[in-house]
Amino acid sequence: MDFSFTPDQTLLKSSARAFLDEHCKPATVRLLWDDARGESEAMWKEMAQLGWLGLSLPEEHGGSGLGMVESALLLEELGRAAYPGPFWPTMLVASAVTAHGTDVQQKRWLGAIATGEARAALALLDADLDWNPDAVATRADKTSTGWQLTGLKRYVAWGHVASVLLVPARTPEGVSLFLVEPGAAGIAWTPMMNMDPGTRLADLRLDRVPVRSDDVLGAPGAAAPAVRQLLRRGAVGAAAEMLGAARRCLDMAVGYAKVREQFGQPIGSFQAIRHKCADMLLETENSHSAVYYAAWALDAGAEDAGTAASIAKSYVGDAARKVCGEAIQVHGGIGFTWEYDLHMYFKRAKALEAQYGDADFHRELILADVAK
Amino acid sequence: MDLNYSAEDRAFREKTRRWLEANTPTDDLKTLAERKAWHRKLYEAGYVGMLWPKEYGGWGATAMQQAIVQDEMARIGAPPAINGLGIGFIGPTIIVHGTEAQKQRYLKKMLTAEEIWCQLYSEPNAGSDLAGLKTRAEDAGEHFVVNGQKIWTSSGPIADWGILLCRTDPKAAKHKGISCVLLNMRQPGVEVRPLKQITGHSLFSEVFMTNARADKSDLIGKLNEGWAIAQTTLGYERGGNSLGRVTRYAIAFHQLVRATRQLKRNGRPLIEDPVVRAKMGRLYAELEVQRYAGLRVLSALNKGESPGAASSITKLSYTEFEKRYYDTALEILGPWGQMMTAREEFEEIDTSSGEAGTWATAFLWARAGTIYSGSSEIQKNIIGERVLGLPKEVRADRLRS
Repeated sequence: MDFSFTPDQTLLKSSARAFLDEHCKPATVRLLWDDARGESEAMWKEMAQLGWLGLSLPEEHGGSGLGMVESALLLEELGRAAYPGPFWPTMLVASAVTAHGTDVQQKRWLGAIATGEARAALALLDADLDWNPDAVATRADKTSTGWQLTGLKRYVAWGHVASVLLVPARTPEGVSLFLVEPGAAGIAWTPMMNMDPGTRLADLRLDRVPVRSDDVLGAPGAAAPAVRQLLRRGAVGAAAEMLGAARRCLDMAVGYAKVREQFGQPIGSFQAIRHKCADMLLETENSHSAVYYAAWALDAGAEDAGTAASIAKSYVGDAARKVCGEAIQVHGGIGFTWEYDLHMYFKRAKALEAQYGDADFHRELILADVAK
Repeated sequence: MDLNYSAEDRAFREKTRRWLEANTPTDDLKTLAERKAWHRKLYEAGYVGMLWPKEYGGWGATAMQQAIVQDEMARIGAPPAINGLGIGFIGPTIIVHGTEAQKQRYLKKMLTAEEIWCQLYSEPNAGSDLAGLKTRAEDAGEHFVVNGQKIWTSSGPIADWGILLCRTDPKAAKHKGISCVLLNMRQPGVEVRPLKQITGHSLFSEVFMTNARADKSDLIGKLNEGWAIAQTTLGYERGGNSLGRVTRYAIAFHQLVRATRQLKRNGRPLIEDPVVRAKMGRLYAELEVQRYAGLRVLSALNKGESPGAASSITKLSYTEFEKRYYDTALEILGPWGQMMTAREEFEEIDTSSGEAGTWATAFLWARAGTIYSGSSEIQKNIIGERVLGLPKEVRADRLRS
């Protein structure tokens, strides 16, 4: 029983912190918020050089073959920096291609992702906003050369910078996965402004979009378990990012409570503030336990890996919102200003709550599993 | 990072499970003599005093092994050992601060529950502000003469000995002038009156000391330096119960699942109601997070790290969770959850810190956890000051001294 990190894992985390402190400062994030593209090409290239984009990819495709624990450590730091960009969706698509792709598909995408040439996005939600893969309504009809996709995919994150989209659609065999080019004929994008400008979302209307039969990922009709696995992994990664946002806000709140004086004393000496900070630490530490237990469980193929992922997502979502929100409260008026950085982390945590299955979705999964 | 149990720990769990299956009494233990006999049996099997050094009659086991024993006992529903305060807190205090003669005299009989111990700390006017205690011990040459009143004393009526915090220098500043001494409870000057709690049971009592006698040889540490000893005693949390506690929550959860299958709302089982399902999903998530956090503490202990003030986070976390847990369970169960006597087998649950009983008992017991051993507010002060490094509050009593 060892809940601590190896020296390599600790090094990964501290070097990620050092890199992001330098290259993803709050001022950098603000510039990207105002940028049309929303992410930095230069930072993406550097992330590739650091080996982050290949961290979890197989070694034969230029990756390091590391597990979810390492990804979570990196994502915690990215969350702490409110990093805006398609890192996690790209990694998730890569994991699906690794698990289900043909040799040709793997050769085509994995190397390009590891070197930073390709980004990827997920289009998991249909018009009904139901995360359950069985609810997919987008249709795939057979043609002489492959398929034609028709339907509405909503709130696709980072699709505008992606080279490839992973799209579940309904075929006669059941729900299947398709690798779709974002610029293909028949695709119409409608970008929208999220509360968190570091999460770029768009609706995606597909009107008889042609997809070659070589671009079906995995066996037709077998997408539901693959999507469930993606949601698990996605959920744990999002939880790690939310944990990072919470830690940043906790640190800022505690730091501020030590120096801000009212009534002739630092406000941290008042129990009303100190107890709030203690509660925030409790939620943050419990979130750490939930994230890394779930990450380990996925890597180890533990029996409760699915439940642990849902627990991490639902628990940390609530905890991070609370911690980041209370950090604003501890700061008072200054915490409510655009100029002060706290809202970056508050908004990032909130945006992630709605990704990869919200808390209600995951709580239902938890109960369905426990009360079988 | 590897959250699998080691091969040794798995083998130890297997062995413990087999022993408990063969030896756990099938009937309720009614008398103190029966409970002492079961305790003795557990001790001789190596399941009591596990963390104590061998030279004092302990077993020198690991925190993980102790947690496994507690976990297996919870799983099978075995009656707990007794003398918990003695073995968990008072004995270790004597081991660290006591004289060789005190160790020889008291420790073994504490382990075997031949002598039962209680803690004489809180007073009617000294709860969270423990250093405000007024019980006096006056120097009478060979011994101290003790006068005062203690309260919230667990095991009071069955205790043979108590560890007493008392004022030995009334002129000294509040946190100075306090001493720690062992008091014989079986003497005419000591009167124990049970207190009835909100559960209807009497696990606590008041203790009145009127010219009671404490031998000077029973002073722990130096005269007037008892406050520091009390601080180390309060901080003695070793994570030994972290798995057993969560197993009890999980057993209760599965009973809740069974109950919600039998109870109906709008003509269908309660467990099919989406509102109920959402509540239960959240409860289970929180319950498991308590387990993950427990594993993290055990992992740190395994590496020889001391949780120190961070153990306040654990205590705050599980006691506050317990209130939410039983609040929600009773909300789901309605009037069914409020019965004090079990009518159906699935109403029987085992509370983590109190006695076995119904959902209602557990609900009521949960109010105790955030008060005893340092209330949630005190834990938050400790976390704020010692973990987060926030400035101390300005306190009137500190200004004076």
